[in-house]
Amino acid sequence: MNTPLAWYFAGPLIGLMVPILLILREKQLGISSSYRFIGATLLPKIKYFNYSKNQDRWQIHFALGLVLSGFAAFQLFGAFDQVVIQPVLDYEKVAVSIYDVKNGLQFFLGGILVGFGARYANGCTAGHCIMGVSQFATSSIIATISFFVGGLIGSLFINPILF
Amino acid sequence: MFKFILTLILGFAFGSILLASQVFSWFRIQEMFHFQSFHMFGLLFSAIGTSALFLFIIKKMKIKSIQGNQIEVKPKKLELKANIIGGLIFGLGWSISGACSAPVYILVGLHWQIGLILLAGAFTGTVIYGAFINKLPR
Repeated sequence: MNTPLAWYFAGPLIGLMVPILLILREKQLGISSSYRFIGATLLPKIKYFNYSKNQDRWQIHFALGLVLSGFAAFQLFGAFDQVVIQPVLDYEKVAVSIYDVKNGLQFFLGGILVGFGARYANGCTAGHCIMGVSQFATSSIIATISFFVGGLIGSLFINPILF
Repeated sequence: MFKFILTLILGFAFGSILLASQVFSWFRIQEMFHFQSFHMFGLLFSAIGTSALFLFIIKKMKIKSIQGNQIEVKPKKLELKANIIGGLIFGLGWSISGACSAPVYILVGLHWQIGLILLAGAFTGTVIYGAFINKLPR
């Protein structure tokens, strides 16, 4: 599993998910609204979570499929820890076990920013970058550029401090 | 029940593609932001191109869903400040965690400890957003 499926196969397959979801489920690709659905289920008393959650219910089913794909991959290939792309590792201490729980705090922080940012920007990589940009939506093009600016800052300047 | 299983299978397929192409990997995300490989860029551009092509075909040929309804796609509302500031924050989180929303769920299955930490973080972020929703610039 050290060699990835080539982008010219994987990219079109990812893009195909958009028409498939529209035709089979009448849904626009998106994933991050599932976090709000979880909130509506766990903490319904919070005002933001008191909404008509049924519109987002399908996303949690989709998310469950994602979890299962990860679990199936774990059963078949192990935890993929060997998937290390060497040239990136200017700072060697990251080494192989990036997913070690000793990095839990960094991942928790990253997760908070992902959850907060996705809701504030009204979408994530799936909803904005793929679904939105392929509609040529101004909001999604602006959001996608912002994702990359934020990511550049994080990856080039913040990660060498955090990890 | 049919819809549930169908959506589950689609999620599984989507996750499998992201696994096979290593989009879930922290290292691939760093590699992308360091411009050290074309992999992620090629992947994103070809995904967007494929999606745009099919959206065009659906519109031109007035393709209906299996339920027999006309398919309509709505663009997300433009909220300039929210799209920019929210986008920057999301991008920061994406580069630190090496995972956007879908890979968070994939990692729950693949590396359950870090996966659950990420999911707890993303959920916490959503709660914080809900608490400040009226105070954030749009």
